[in-house]
Amino acid sequence: MTEIMTNAPMSERSKFFRVLIRRKTVLFGLMVLAIFVVLAVFAPLITPYAPNKLSIVNRLKPPDMRWFFGTDEFGRDVFSRTIFSARLSLMVGFAVVVLASLIGVTLGILAGFFQKLDAPITRLIDAMMAFPDILLAIALVAALGPSLTTVIVALSIVYAPRLARIVRASTLVIRELPYVEAATSLGISTRHIMTRHILRNLLSPILVQGTFLFANAMLAEAGLSFLGLGVSPEVPTWGTMIASGRQYIGKADWMTLFPGIAIVLAVLSLQMVGDGFRDLLDPRLRKDL
Amino acid sequence: MKSLKLALLLGSALIAVSPAAFAQSKGGVINVATIGEPPTLDAMASTADLVGIVSQHIFETLYTFDKSWNVTPLLAASLPDVSADGKVYTIKLHTGVKFHDGTDMDAADVVASLKRWTEIASRGKQTAPMISSIEAADPATVKITLTAPYAPLVSLLAFNNAAAIILPSEKQQNPMTDPIGTGPYMLKERKADQYIQLTRFADYKSAEGDENGYGGARHQYLDEIRFVPVPDPNTRVEGALSGQFDYVDSLPVEAFDRLKDQKATEAVLLKPFGWPVFVMNTSQGITKSQDLRLAVRDALSMEDMMAAAFGSTDFYTLNPSMYPDGYSWKTDAGTQGAYNVADPEKAAEELKKAGYNGEPLRILTSRQYEFHYKMAQVAAEYLKAAGFTVDMQVVDWATLTQRRADPKLWDIYISHSPFLPEPALIGAMSTSAPGNWDTPARKVAVDAFNAEVDPQKRVALWAEVQKVIYAEVPIIKIGDFNALSAKSPKLEGFTPAPWPYFWNVSLKQ
Amino acid sequence: MLRYILQRFIGMIIVMFLVVTIVFIIVRVTPGDPAAVMLGPEATAADIAALRQQLGLDQSIPVQYVYFIGNLVQGDLGQSIFLDQPVLQALAQRAEPTFFLTIFSLLIASVIAIPIGIYAAYRRGSFFDQAATALAMLAASIPSFWLGLILMQIFAVRFGLFPVSGYGGPGTSLTERLGYLVLPAFALGIVSSALIMRFTRASMLDVLGDDYIRTARAKGVDERRVVLKHAFKNALIPILTVVGLTAAVLISGAVVTETVFGLPGVGSLVVSAVLRRDYPVIQGALLIIAALYVLINFAIDMLYLVVDPRVRY
Repeated sequence: MTEIMTNAPMSERSKFFRVLIRRKTVLFGLMVLAIFVVLAVFAPLITPYAPNKLSIVNRLKPPDMRWFFGTDEFGRDVFSRTIFSARLSLMVGFAVVVLASLIGVTLGILAGFFQKLDAPITRLIDAMMAFPDILLAIALVAALGPSLTTVIVALSIVYAPRLARIVRASTLVIRELPYVEAATSLGISTRHIMTRHILRNLLSPILVQGTFLFANAMLAEAGLSFLGLGVSPEVPTWGTMIASGRQYIGKADWMTLFPGIAIVLAVLSLQMVGDGFRDLLDPRLRKDL
Repeated sequence: MKSLKLALLLGSALIAVSPAAFAQSKGGVINVATIGEPPTLDAMASTADLVGIVSQHIFETLYTFDKSWNVTPLLAASLPDVSADGKVYTIKLHTGVKFHDGTDMDAADVVASLKRWTEIASRGKQTAPMISSIEAADPATVKITLTAPYAPLVSLLAFNNAAAIILPSEKQQNPMTDPIGTGPYMLKERKADQYIQLTRFADYKSAEGDENGYGGARHQYLDEIRFVPVPDPNTRVEGALSGQFDYVDSLPVEAFDRLKDQKATEAVLLKPFGWPVFVMNTSQGITKSQDLRLAVRDALSMEDMMAAAFGSTDFYTLNPSMYPDGYSWKTDAGTQGAYNVADPEKAAEELKKAGYNGEPLRILTSRQYEFHYKMAQVAAEYLKAAGFTVDMQVVDWATLTQRRADPKLWDIYISHSPFLPEPALIGAMSTSAPGNWDTPARKVAVDAFNAEVDPQKRVALWAEVQKVIYAEVPIIKIGDFNALSAKSPKLEGFTPAPWPYFWNVSLKQ
Repeated sequence: MLRYILQRFIGMIIVMFLVVTIVFIIVRVTPGDPAAVMLGPEATAADIAALRQQLGLDQSIPVQYVYFIGNLVQGDLGQSIFLDQPVLQALAQRAEPTFFLTIFSLLIASVIAIPIGIYAAYRRGSFFDQAATALAMLAASIPSFWLGLILMQIFAVRFGLFPVSGYGGPGTSLTERLGYLVLPAFALGIVSSALIMRFTRASMLDVLGDDYIRTARAKGVDERRVVLKHAFKNALIPILTVVGLTAAVLISGAVVTETVFGLPGVGSLVVSAVLRRDYPVIQGALLIIAALYVLINFAIDMLYLVVDPRVRY
């Protein structure tokens, strides 16, 4: 989509402001993400309690100086659990991005670069994308048996086609770029072209899509865990925390409130960063979305 | 048997339940929120309480329990005549009883149904080896001949799950295709996961006498009873608070505070209701080792499990005995140093003795009963501390009941039971019940208990059974708990009961 | 053009075939013997073997695959294990709440998103635009089940405006049943309004830059008329497309939301089927939903052909 001048009044100042805001949101997103990553990595050092440390006498205590986010029905510290959840939720999101990218990029490049493979791969992608993501994930988790690994594998299988489709489109564009065409006609090996030109050019779209995928995967994991079809319920993730806190809404709202806010913050910051990446890194994909 | 002297099970209800002295009005429809979709309506095929709660309105048994948990006739005209040697039971039937399809109930129906019961129902299968024949003496009399005296027989015939319900002789298919019974309400429509709609059976013939627990007169005030499956406990709480349901079964005790001072609903507390239990697989897998089972028990803190599951001591009592205060069966036999041990070192030693090598201990539990799941989580932490590798498998209740039947699939499953009027009805007493507890010591103790007819002697023999249970750990009793449910203030004539029933209940106009 | 339609049609058939194959693979991978699951714990080995034979499970995988396709062609999706009824019937019984929930949420999402999107595009770069964009991002970050819980707590429990859960008892009228859908529809609608809003804004920006809009403006056509009539009309097709796409996304959201609100829809059927190990139901639901998606996509493409004269192949 090209830059469009509208006749709507828009001063230079507000344009500048807009860019700044854009950058500001990116900055905000990056900062929140960084905080989450630090919390996740150093969780054992930061958290005052072990995430599964039971303390039945202290059950359902409201937030105070001892328990910043209160305690749950087993007297476990909601703050510590929320932070340990960041660990697992981010790990699931990240693992899904990596695995889905590996599958998606391979399929996408193959389809985009080799015309013979295009039709079959595209059809496969279309077929995979006909399934609503959560539904397919549920079926896959049911098939593979619920565990942390299968949730990651299932979500990767679900999201890989979505990535593959974008990579294919980008590859098609890049393939036609003058210098790639030139390289082909110069007889430079296909493998070389793929690794050197295409992959390098694909970095930006993959980074952008990967960020959104990260956010989606985290939401999907939370949904699956909430339904009791994801990771084992004693493993702290934001989804499992909300699922178990659900029963105490109205009595111990902090059990659902804090993990809920954590998900929203994490997903929001990822979206902001993804948006920023799209604007900054990839002018060709730039959209006023 | 006739003198089954048992203390009250129905304890203090928080609401004042007035006897049916006031005039109850006829008419109205109630919505009852249940814990889920029953896997079947065939009360013979399942021991699930949920199946019992719904199906007891449709089907009836020969006997049932009165409010003091004495056996009392329902479809039978009176308690059985037992021959002097205790082997022949002659049962006179209540006459003029019609099935929902309009046919009359007679001895042929009863004989066919009881035979089906001995083939399908777990309690029936447990009884089958003791029965040498079931026959119709005349159209209104059935004769059961036993191979040896068997004291629990009439209690078994009175039970409402895995129940000896009476079906028309031509409707004996398994699985049941056409739920036709003699009960006060009949099935109108069943929409899976949505509702089970029962309507008044116009030709119902009630048992005689005043209302008395499950026995005596059954009045059909309500036009319709609808059982609505609401598997999520929290949604049930919200449904009670908003007044969407007239009765809501099995609420988490945490909801108690929220039910106070509400217009649309009020709390119903049944105290004590029952006991949570960890059932061990004694036939296969790692829990086949008695030392390992001891290790599991000694690792656990009953106190923490009960507190996590039920909140305050208003809702639970720590009690090692298989029965609570007020029951003649209550005894401390065998429980010393074997309850609420919570000693990881001791458990670790026992584990070493059992030759445990870190094989996963598969704990099967469900979230349909939230307290099962909470106890499982606390148990998991204590078991890990003792050196167990815990593999917690959280499934829905229907799946759990399916899986526990296959000893290859689990090591421990978590369940609960109401305090049963007759100890012989406790699941683990039967070798065919999940867990398959079958040892020489069990056989000696249980056989002696079942054959004895004198109530006084049976109490002493029960203490022996409890000793063996504590020595061999086929099951682990966690404690006593009270049950919370909620009812609309408009419901009249409701009596709190472990399996709530809605005949004799009416709606205030 | 006819050639294009034919091409698209063949493509759709191939995709459909792949969908069926994927479902077949997923179900075959699933552990556990379906026959043993169907017969329950009391079954003897002989019973299981007999049923395996009856179901064709003793056949080789390719043969099973052929049978599977054969049954599908005859419209046979198999029998639910837990519910003891044909899968197709079970799905049909639960289609209504899911269908209305999807329609409602779409309606709510569109009513929120389209006007905001139009105005944001018109006042591009303004505070309103930025706020709208930020809010859209926020909305897309909220898990719908969490929002559902909050809405339920406020509007159903505290104020008692709507029922908490379920879909009414026997004999409830359609209007009453729809009352059960208000809260879940809002939970889903708000979350999915983000995509529609951003797309509306983008399409409007695109159109507002077109020549004929400038011409209209130059001619002195009333500004409101320019934006709402000329520009919006032309931006409508991409907007409708994204609304259609959102419908597909909504089915995913419905799975979780139906469970939160105890709606007996297709989504909660699948969730309970997974918990009940009712494989034929999982398989049937996946197939039907994916097939619908493929068909709708095909229909949209064909519609484009009719509606948009600019589309030429």
